[in-house]
This record gives sequence, C-alpha cells and structure tokens, in this order.
Amino acid sequence: MEGLITSLSELTGTNLSYLFNGKHLAWYASVRFTILAAFFGAVLALLFGMLGASAKRSSFAPFRWFGSGYITMVRGVPDVLFFLFFPLAFEQFVEYLFSLNACTVAERASGKWPPCNAAQWYLSTSEYFVMACVSLGLVYGAFAANVIHGAMRAVPESQLEAARAYGFTKRQVYWHFQVRQMWIYALPGLSNVWMLLLKATALLSLLQIADIVQWAGKLGAANYFPAAGLVHGDWRWRYYIVLFLFYILLTFLSELFFRKLQKRASRGMALDQ
Amino acid sequence: MRKIKLKDLLSSRSSARVLLAPMLVAGVLVQSAFAADVRIGTEGAYPPWNFVDDSGKLAGFEIDLGNAMCEKAGISCEFVQNEWDSIIPNLLAGNYDIIMAGMSITEERMQTIDFSSDYFPPDPSRYAAAADSDFDFGNLKGVKIGAQGATIQADYLEANFKDGNTLLTYETPDQSVADLMAGNIDILLADGEFLNPVVEGSAGKLALVGPGVEIGGGVGIGMRKDDKELQEKLSAALAALKADGTVDKLIKASFDKETNYANQ
Repeated sequence: MEGLITSLSELTGTNLSYLFNGKHLAWYASVRFTILAAFFGAVLALLFGMLGASAKRSSFAPFRWFGSGYITMVRGVPDVLFFLFFPLAFEQFVEYLFSLNACTVAERASGKWPPCNAAQWYLSTSEYFVMACVSLGLVYGAFAANVIHGAMRAVPESQLEAARAYGFTKRQVYWHFQVRQMWIYALPGLSNVWMLLLKATALLSLLQIADIVQWAGKLGAANYFPAAGLVHGDWRWRYYIVLFLFYILLTFLSELFFRKLQKRASRGMALDQ
Repeated sequence: MRKIKLKDLLSSRSSARVLLAPMLVAGVLVQSAFAADVRIGTEGAYPPWNFVDDSGKLAGFEIDLGNAMCEKAGISCEFVQNEWDSIIPNLLAGNYDIIMAGMSITEERMQTIDFSSDYFPPDPSRYAAAADSDFDFGNLKGVKIGAQGATIQADYLEANFKDGNTLLTYETPDQSVADLMAGNIDILLADGEFLNPVVEGSAGKLALVGPGVEIGGGVGIGMRKDDKELQEKLSAALAALKADGTVDKLIKASFDKETNYANQ
C-alpha cells in the first residue's frame, strides 16, 4: 500500500513537473493567438458583414454587384484555401509594389521572384497574425453579410413605414428602426457565424503561427531522445483531446454570451422573441 | 448611402484605422521582432541535430555549432524553425540566410543552393523495423517502406524499391517513427544517427535491420548561391572551429562519436 502511494506520488510528481515545463507553458501561452484571432476576426467580420449587407441593399447598381459578388464568391471558397491564398497573394502584391521602385528594369524582366533583394518582404509571426485576422474577417464577413442582409429584410416593412409617417429622417429610420430591430433576427445567425469563425482559428498553424494546434502536435509527437524531454510514444491523441475540451469550453461560453445578448437586444421590443 | 470601398478602409482618414491600430499592436505583442545579422533556418524536430528541448527552446548539435560559429565570426545569429519540406524554398525566398538542419550535401541540392564543407561526416542510413521481423534486402517485395519526404532516403527508396513495394513519405521525422511503431509501415529508412536513439528508446520494440546504406555526403551548411560574402565569412569560422577541435568536441557531446576534423 505504502509502496503504491509513493510510486503514485512519484508518478504524479514527475507528471506535474512535465505538465509545467517550458514547452507546456509555451503551449498554454499560445492560447493568446487563438483568442486574439477570434476576437479581431469577429470584429472585422462584423464590419465587412455590415458593409457587404449595405452594399447588397444599395440602390446604386455597381455597389449591389460588388456586395453580391463578395458574398457569393467568398462564401463559396473553402476557408482553408482562402487562408492560404490571401496572405500569399497579399505578400506578392506588396513585393510587386516594392519592386517597382526598388529594382531595376532588367531585374524585373529576369522572371525571378522577388526581382531583387530590396523588394523582399519578410513576414514574421506578427504580420502573418494580422493577415490571418483579416482573412478570417473577409471569409466570415461574407457569411455575416448574408445573415445581416436577411435580418434587415425581416424587419416588418410596416414598422419602417410608420416611422417614416412620424416624420423620422431616412437616416433615423435606418439606424433607429431597421438596424436596431435587425439584431434580433441577426443574432442567432451571427452566433452561428461566430462558432464557425472560432473553429477556423485552428487553421492558424497553416501560416506557421505556433498556435495551440501546432504545439499540441509537437508535444504529442513520439520522442525517443532523452535530451529532448520525456521519452514517450505517440501521445498526440491525448493532446488533441485537450484541444477538444478547450473548444467545447469556448462553445459553451459563447452560447452563454449570445443568450445574454439576445435577451438584451430583445428588451423593449414589441416582437415576440 | 455613404460610399465605402476597401481602399477607404486602408486610408488614414477612415475610422478603420481605429481598428487596424490595435490589431498591429496585438500583432507586435504576440512576438517582438529581433533583428539578428544572420538568421539560421532549422527544422527543430530532428534530434540529436536540432530539436526543441523541455524548456521550449531550440537545442542540439547544430544549435551549439551554429552559435559557436557565429561567435567566431563575430556576428549575431538567430535560429528560426521551418518545416523540412519548405526549408530550401524559404531559404531562397529570404526568410532566413542559411540552413543548418542535418542536411546532407548532394549533387541535386547543389543545383539550387551552395554548401559549406561538411561539419558532420557521411553517416550511413539504416533500416529500422519491428524487433522480431526479418527481411531479405537483396530481394525486397510486397513491403511498406517509409522515409521522410524530400530526403536522400526518400530518393533512394524511389530509385531502388519502387517495384513491388509500397513507398510512403512523411512530413516530419516523428510521424515516420509513429507510423513504424503503429505498424503502418514495415520498414523505415533514415539517418543512422537519428535512428540509434529511436531504437534505444523503443523499449525493445524496434531494431536496426539489414545493411547500412551510404547515400549522401556529409552534413553541411546550406547557403544561397549569390551570398558569397556570407559564405566566405562562415566557411572561415567553420574551418577555425574544425581546426581547434570544437566541432569534434560538439559531435562527441551530442552523438558520442569520435571524429577527426581537427587533423584534416
């Protein structure tokens, strides 16, 4: 019995120190990428969503085409593809702009990329992170635009008519009646978009950002070399279970938040929600 | 309705700046930039050459050697982790300036990049398999053989065992070992010095089988062809470290192997 306890505490002792070594601390700290990317991605998605929805409803035809085009095209492209395409395309576009000034005509005609070293734009984690946020914003902005567009149309026309009859200006009708009531219809859809966006943060590792997914894969990988830490077999499934639990926890918290928000948006509304 | 275009979002007059500014700050917060003279690309998953240790930092023979070399050359260096399969393209793209990643000197690679003289002697590749297995390497048929992708071993398998066998390649060394342990492949071909600790640490499950295969040259520093100035500087530093016995000492410490670079 005593031997069991000592071996158990010895076991937990080593396990505990294993869970708090520098590698694991770096893993825990990498949660910040996921949280920040989800937050800024969501803010941008909402912004692009509002812009996209407004463009789609615009009375000016080219805006309408732009809005519909954005929503249809971006919604149809797999987010993984967009995630890889946008940062790379943007990087090359910037390098192209640089090269116009920095490189000679001969260098630009050489077909090398980038044409000269001065036009080289080195992307570190920070730049990739910003571009990941913009990608998330663009992709999920298209979904949000669709949701918001639908929600705008769901606001009873009679309400807006009544508002106009009371002499509210066009702008007041838009902001205080249509947009104000739109949220009730949009929130369930937007919470859905938020969930998708949250899940998509697992793609950050594609841009060589050392996020929770990349660390989990590295920590779980079999190690047979004592100098590189604890010798163990393939433990990836253990680490992926932790990721499951982490994302389920985020889902749970998000649902709680959106329920509160829905309640708040519905207060004082004549609509039965 | 107000006309808003993407162009306006990026212009300083737009309210979007309010949004972009904290994002850039957050971007800077997640990793502060440090500008070193020379950036060294490494895989960070190939013990004992290069790996991430318990404290989460890069360690291994090449990390020690790289730091010693930069000190000798009087330049500041920084190691950057990069996946193996894109390690040469990203050197050419300028993400880092040299490669130290257990990379064997081969004719094929020398068409795109230059190598320093070797800092690790040619190392026979070995086959690893389940401890109780037995293969006839003279006439190998119907076997699943694996290697890490874009390596000299992968090329060797392609050239010698393609007919009648199934060849598999892996992105990282540990995935290849994990698949061997799981029985998804029968044989794994890899650098002997990489497989030795794997077989030792497998608690008797794996064994080295068959003959050693001499494939590539020694391991050297990969450098861009047009970087002549840096090439000369680092070659001189490496030659000095070989002459004073530092390279031999570091190899002894990481591989427990005797070499004689000091008297070359």
